[in-house]
Amino acid sequence: MTVHIVEDDPGVGDALALLLQQIGHEVVVHPDAESLFEDPPPAAQDTVIVDLGLPGVSGVQVIRWLSRLKASPKIIAISGQPRKAIEKMLGDDQPAILLRKPLTEEAIIRHL
Amino acid sequence: MDEDQSGGGPVTPSVSEARLSSVLGTAVDGIVVMDHQARIILFNTACEKLFGYTADEVRGQNVKILMPEDFALAHDRFVSNYLTTGEKRIIGIGREVRGKHRDGREFPIELSVGEAVTPEGRQFIGIMRDISARKAVEQRLAQAQAQLVSMTRISALDEMGAAIAHELNQPLTAIMLYLQAAKRQASSGSGADSKLVEIVDKGVNEAERASKIIQRMRRFVEKREPERRAVSVAPLIRECLELVTLGNACDGVAFSIDVEDDLPQISADPVQVQQVLVNLIRNALEAVRAVEDKRVSVSAGVRERDMIVRVSDSGGGVPAELVPNLFKAFSGSKKKGLGLGLAISRSIAQNHGGDLAVEQAGSKGGAAFVLRLPLYAVSASADVQGAGQEMEGSSE
Ligand SMILES: Nc1ncnc2c1ncn2[C@@H]1O[C@H](COP(=O)(O)OP(=O)(O)OP(=O)(O)O)[C@@H](O)[C@H]1O
Ligand SMILES: [Mg+2]
Repeated sequence: MTVHIVEDDPGVGDALALLLQQIGHEVVVHPDAESLFEDPPPAAQDTVIVDLGLPGVSGVQVIRWLSRLKASPKIIAISGQPRKAIEKMLGDDQPAILLRKPLTEEAIIRHL
Repeated sequence: MDEDQSGGGPVTPSVSEARLSSVLGTAVDGIVVMDHQARIILFNTACEKLFGYTADEVRGQNVKILMPEDFALAHDRFVSNYLTTGEKRIIGIGREVRGKHRDGREFPIELSVGEAVTPEGRQFIGIMRDISARKAVEQRLAQAQAQLVSMTRISALDEMGAAIAHELNQPLTAIMLYLQAAKRQASSGSGADSKLVEIVDKGVNEAERASKIIQRMRRFVEKREPERRAVSVAPLIRECLELVTLGNACDGVAFSIDVEDDLPQISADPVQVQQVLVNLIRNALEAVRAVEDKRVSVSAGVRERDMIVRVSDSGGGVPAELVPNLFKAFSGSKKKGLGLGLAISRSIAQNHGGDLAVEQAGSKGGAAFVLRLPLYAVSASADVQGAGQEMEGSSE
């Protein structure tokens, strides 16, 4: 499987990729939603880690798009926003897994 | 000191005295005349009211009976000091002092003292005005301003706390993940370096400590829920206008309030709503400062299940380039302002289940801010329970 990371903060994206690669995953980092859409869609066995606070097309829209794919991948949302803001942003499109920043290795590995 | 007036005594004392006493009797200010030994010679009607003594009771007494103890002690020294050295502490200057009523109550007075040299020797004339009312207003103003400052600070702190927590989170997340990756690297394979692993572990611990601090800060900031009560909007608006106008120069500004009849009460945190309105009115006031026609109006009415409060002004309107980020913290264009007012105001409105929006008035010029607050508390508090917990693998 491949782990797709959609994260606009280069530090967070790079660190996350590094860690996951070490664990042995294949990783692709996208700085925004648009660049994710340009590539072939993630496969069902893949995992997509989406930052909710993306510039341009929002993380929420990415989640909506992913979950409507015929074979949708596993979705992990990450966010540094306050809880209330997250809930409001998500509305009915609650992802299965939502992790709040700062992230720990432990929390991520548990869900992979 | 008018030395030259002293010589000529009154030729017709009876007429002059009658006139004098009628002047003294009708004077609004308290007037006391004392001799060089500080004994009261004259005590007018206003003084009788002010101090609760009759003129007959105090005539011949030392003027100290009209003063609080601490003051009375100093007074003797002042008088003798003045008579020997001529050094003026109060004569011709006027100052705020405290008086003592017959019943022991102390009150603030403004006192001015003049001196006359008469055939009977030097005399001093004290003119007094009760300034309790003015003092009370000043005190209320000071309190209101202190309250305003403190509530603005609290919210600014919240807002700033949330902003800082968010900004710090990103690099901290990266640091933690890098360190964890480094640890893996150092401990894997044949060339495992246990010393390096230990050091990186310590680094991870410190990063975790920082992250806990941020989480705690975030929890604290998120926990503040409005303390709701039944609030009458009309008096609240009036109070806010008063608060803003008391503290700011608003010459030539026409304020108007237009409130629908029989407005229902709303369930809201009055202090927070007041803060929003004060922010909006203050902004409006600042916006009209530079224009000729200065108008600020506040209206309130019910629309469906919401209370709508509109604050509009005749100023220059919100500059177009500011509009997209208007409600973000630190977005203001003023040199003096922090640019937090609107950010805080909107978050208060949203915490109440309402919102704050801007309308550009267009042709009429000026800006209008519309505050929407639900009449009844929406059950926002239900899903806030356990806001402290991290949400992992939340809903399906
Ligand atoms: N009624 C208004 N008319 C025109 N511009 C406005 C009006 N209200 C706000 N603005 C603009 O929006 C900016 C942000 O307002 P905000 O109240 O958030 O911050 P501020 O007034 O600059 O500072 P603070 O309120 O923190 O002291 C202002 O600097 C001003 O440029
Ligand atoms: Mg302001």
